[in-house]
Amino acid sequence: MNGINCQDRERIFLDGTAEEWTALERHAADCPACAEEVRAWKSLSVAAGELRDHHENTALWTRIEHSLREQQQHKARFWTRLAVWNGISLGWQTALVGALALVLAVSGAYVIRHGRDRSAEAGASKLLKNSALAEVERTEREYMKAIDQLAVEAKPQLDSSSTPLMASYREKLVVLDSAIDELREQAQQNPSNAHLRYQLLAMYQEKQQTLQDVLETKK
Amino acid sequence: MASVGLTLQWEHRISPVGGEGASRVQSTETDDRSNPTSRATPEDGALAAGCLAGDMRAYEQLYAVQGARMRNLARNLLGTQSDAEDAVQETFLKIQRGIGSFRGQSSFVTWAFRILVNTCYDMRRSKVRRKEHSQDHSEESAPREPRAPGAHPTLRMALERALGQLTEHQRSVFLLYEVEGFRHSEIATMLQISETASKNTLFQAKRNLRGMLEPPRSAEAGGAR
Repeated sequence: MNGINCQDRERIFLDGTAEEWTALERHAADCPACAEEVRAWKSLSVAAGELRDHHENTALWTRIEHSLREQQQHKARFWTRLAVWNGISLGWQTALVGALALVLAVSGAYVIRHGRDRSAEAGASKLLKNSALAEVERTEREYMKAIDQLAVEAKPQLDSSSTPLMASYREKLVVLDSAIDELREQAQQNPSNAHLRYQLLAMYQEKQQTLQDVLETKK
Repeated sequence: MASVGLTLQWEHRISPVGGEGASRVQSTETDDRSNPTSRATPEDGALAAGCLAGDMRAYEQLYAVQGARMRNLARNLLGTQSDAEDAVQETFLKIQRGIGSFRGQSSFVTWAFRILVNTCYDMRRSKVRRKEHSQDHSEESAPREPRAPGAHPTLRMALERALGQLTEHQRSVFLLYEVEGFRHSEIATMLQISETASKNTLFQAKRNLRGMLEPPRSAEAGGAR
C-alpha cells in the first residue's frame, strides 16, 4: 500500500506534492470514489485550456508603441523645458525672476489691502506695539540708508555698462523700487501691520542682493 | 441540463487517472509551469534594464514574450477583446511611468502582470460604476465576445459563465494558475497575498467551479457513465 487513503484526497488537491499525487492516483486505481474525484478535479485544469488563446496580435503592439512613444516625448518635453531655462543667460533669468517678484509683490499688496480690515480685527498680537514700531522704523531707515549707499556704489557700473546682464539688473532694480514704494505707501497707511513690514523687508533684501551682485560683476 | 452535456464533452478531453493531464494538477510548485520567463532570469533583468533606459525594443520584447498571455488574461478578466487590448495598452504605459520604482523584489514579468491585474480590476470597477450610473441594463446581459475558432464553444462558454460567478480573487487565481500557468509564488506576488492563500483560493475556486459545472451524482450515474 502507498499509505494514501480517501481522507488524504482533499489535502492533496489543496497542496499535494508530486509524490503524493502519484500515490493518490495509485490509490484511485482501486477506489472508484477517489478515481471520480481525481478525474473531476483534473478535468477543470483541462477545461481551463479552453480559455487559453495566445494568438499573435501585431496591430496591438503598433498601438502600444505609438502611445509609449507619445508618453516618452511628453516626458522629454518637460525636461527640455527645464533645460531651456538653464540655457537662458543669467541676465534674462534675473529679469524673469524680477518680473515674478513684481507679480508677487503686486498680488501681495492686493491681498494685504483687501485683508486689512480683517487683519485689524485679528487682535493686537498681529499689530506692532508703539515701541516696537519705532524700533522697526528706525532699523528700516538705517537699512534703507545702507542700501542707498550700496546703490551709489553700484550706480557707475549700472550706468556705464550696456551688457544684457546689466540691463536686466537695471530693470530688476526699477521693478523692486516700484514695489518698495508701493509697500511703503501701504505701510504708512497702516504702520502697525507686521505682514507689510515683512514684505518690505523681503523687498529690501532682494534689492540689497541685486546691488551686491552688480558690484560682484564689476569685480 | 447543459452541465450534463458538458460532462460528456469533457470525457473526450480528460485523460484517465495518471495520464498526460496529471502534470498540471500535481504539486503546485514542483510542476513545470508553462512559461519560464515569469521567473527572475538574467533575460528578465535585461528586459527591466532596457525598459528603464527607455529602450523601445525592450518593450517590444516584453510584448513579444508576454503580450499574448497578457491579452488573454485581460480578456478573461474583462470579457471583451477591446477592453482587454485597452488594459494591455494601459499596462504598458503604467510600466513606462513606473519602471523607476521597480526594485527587483519580484521578476519583472511578475511585476508587469501585477500591474495588468490591477488595471483590469480598475477597469472592471469603473465599468460597473458606469453601468450603475447609466442604469443601462441592456448591456448587462450582453454576451461575451467569441474567441478564436478552434476552442470548444460550449465548454468554454459554460466555464466563462461559471467563472463569472466566482469572487474576483478566485477568478484571478484560477486564471493565473490554470490558464496562464503561473506558480503560486508568482500569483502571491501579483495579488499581494500569501502563497498559502493562493493555494486555498485556487482550491475554493475549483471546488466552486466543480459544483457549478459537474452534474449531480445521480444524473451522472445515469447519463455519462
